[in-house]
Amino acid sequence: MSRKGPKRTTVASPQTRLAMARRSAVRTEPPHLGRADLERARRIRRVQLRAALTALALLTVVVVGLPLLLAALPELDDVRLAGIRVSWLAVAVLPYGALVAIAVVQLRRAERVERNGGEEPR
Amino acid sequence: MIGAAILLVVVITLLIGARGVAAMRSTSDFLVASRRISPTLNAAAVSGEYLSAASFLGVAGLVVKDGIGALWYPVGFTAGYVAMLALVAAPMRRTGALTVPDFAEARLGSRRLRTLSAVVVLVIATLYLVPQFKAAGQVLRVVSGTPYWVGVVVAGVAVSVTLALGGMRAATYVQAFQFVLKLLLFVGPAIWLVTAVGPTVRAAALEPVEFTRFAHETPVQFRFATTLTVTEPTTVDDGGAPRKLVPGEYPVEAGTTWTFPTGADVPDVGGSLPPGGDAWTRPLLDTDGGGHPVLSTLSLLMALVLGTMGLPHIIVRFHTSPDGRSARRTAAITVALLSAFYLFPVIYGTLGAVLVPELYLSGDTDTVVVALPQRVDSGFTGVAVTAMLSAGAFAAFLATSLGLLLALSSAVAHDLLPGAGLRRLRLAPLAGAVVIVALALPAVNIDVGVLVTAAFAVAAATFCPLLVLGIWWPRLTAVGAVAGVVVGLLASVGAIGVDLFLGAPEGLAASLLGQPALWTVPLAFAVMVGVSLRGRPPAWAAAATLRLHLDEATT
Repeated sequence: MSRKGPKRTTVASPQTRLAMARRSAVRTEPPHLGRADLERARRIRRVQLRAALTALALLTVVVVGLPLLLAALPELDDVRLAGIRVSWLAVAVLPYGALVAIAVVQLRRAERVERNGGEEPR
Repeated sequence: MIGAAILLVVVITLLIGARGVAAMRSTSDFLVASRRISPTLNAAAVSGEYLSAASFLGVAGLVVKDGIGALWYPVGFTAGYVAMLALVAAPMRRTGALTVPDFAEARLGSRRLRTLSAVVVLVIATLYLVPQFKAAGQVLRVVSGTPYWVGVVVAGVAVSVTLALGGMRAATYVQAFQFVLKLLLFVGPAIWLVTAVGPTVRAAALEPVEFTRFAHETPVQFRFATTLTVTEPTTVDDGGAPRKLVPGEYPVEAGTTWTFPTGADVPDVGGSLPPGGDAWTRPLLDTDGGGHPVLSTLSLLMALVLGTMGLPHIIVRFHTSPDGRSARRTAAITVALLSAFYLFPVIYGTLGAVLVPELYLSGDTDTVVVALPQRVDSGFTGVAVTAMLSAGAFAAFLATSLGLLLALSSAVAHDLLPGAGLRRLRLAPLAGAVVIVALALPAVNIDVGVLVTAAFAVAAATFCPLLVLGIWWPRLTAVGAVAGVVVGLLASVGAIGVDLFLGAPEGLAASLLGQPALWTVPLAFAVMVGVSLRGRPPAWAAAATLRLHLDEATT
């Protein structure tokens, strides 16, 4: 019992620990940022916002543009690609490729912004 | 055999959970465990928690019922993570908040908003949980023939016991395992089905014809009362002697089975179109037959895309990421994992429309996934594949329900009844399970996908504006946030309530009430911005917002 070692700590299941820790985990006092950090954060936020809006615009092309296109061009129901209607492929397969591509581009861009400290990514 | 497969899933899940907890007995392991989890593992865990009965069973069922347009559901389920990745994943993680109520207090310093957010969590979790229990009851009924209520109660007991044994959900491994399990149990049977049905059915699935005549003698089991409109004389066997029906309307009692002979004309059933028709093959979703497919589709997508970021059981998962950067990576990888899964519901949906179209008569389309294998192969293989799919569906139900039930109980125990001890935290899920079972019993005729979408619609009109404006707009005030959340909550819950309980009016109103997100989300945003502009944010608001965008290297 008197053995020297790391301080003893209560062990609980992670769920319980998270639940118990929640009270104290939340920051309640106003956050403080130094002048340099504040400047850097402003730059990052501005560029990140631009990146996020670009990603959202691309997302809109998929989830708004594609339904509108399919509504406007019912002929696509009669065009077949490898025996499958193009309009079916446009809902069942195409969106997923597009979504993964948008996610990859947005992830890369957001990480580059942070690496460059808010300088415009090139 | 099918029961054994389901039991196996539960036991394996429990064992992995127990191993996960046992492996982390020492304090240092314990603290490090949550830090070492890679974005890929965490993304698998997010997907495991996310793929619910609505994805596993509901999407294919909606394809049979509503047509190819129902495939927009999984597109929206996936696209939600792109929105999350772009707008909230990293900054949200940097607040240190585990839940939206936490976020509300951390960013805006308002206890009132915290309580309000907890109420919203309660609404979302309930709307999401009821269909999960309903699906579990339905699956058990189809595969083992027990009454619906037995299945729901068994599901409730399974969840409660798993929770009481504790810790299961805690381990990220369990959810990651659940994802792999669900993917295998969904993709394997799909590939088997495609090869086993043969070229004729494959061709018929790609070029469906409207379901107007029974292709073979077909028993239709009616689970709840409905009215059939017979359009030409038909002889049916409703359990007693064969009965000749002249054209007209016939009420069907719940629990009866009508057997239609080969070549008989398919009667009409109120509200839905037979699978395979022209409207069915169009890639747009016309919910409630409102006649505005473009509007319905866009509104559905808006709810799903913007609602994902507010789901309480998903947000808490992102906390396992060590920092904002890996939270963002987790969201991106989740998009890829979900995309892989969602390539397959279309197989069950299109094959189901050809092989078991009669499900649309009895309103049992949610069971199409588990009904298919035995229609294709009545031998051992068919039973084995049904067992695989039932196990997968049960895994889907279990993973999502546990996460949601914990989110719900945590909202009750922490935010609504503050100061509650550990004991109450343990009791809350049990009480929650009882309430959900009670709500799921009368919900048997509501589609799984529809209720889950309602949960997304509420999240999109409340938490989406709160999170997005809270993260990107320093001028947001606590009063504005409260006003926006209240308006969004009342508008979306009101629309859904009218649609479900009073029955929607015809035409445009049906589309706007059935899929309310298209107007409730902009409304909530407008109220939040409008009210905030009339007040003054506290002096530290700008720093509080900026801090969330600063990467970890410098903070």
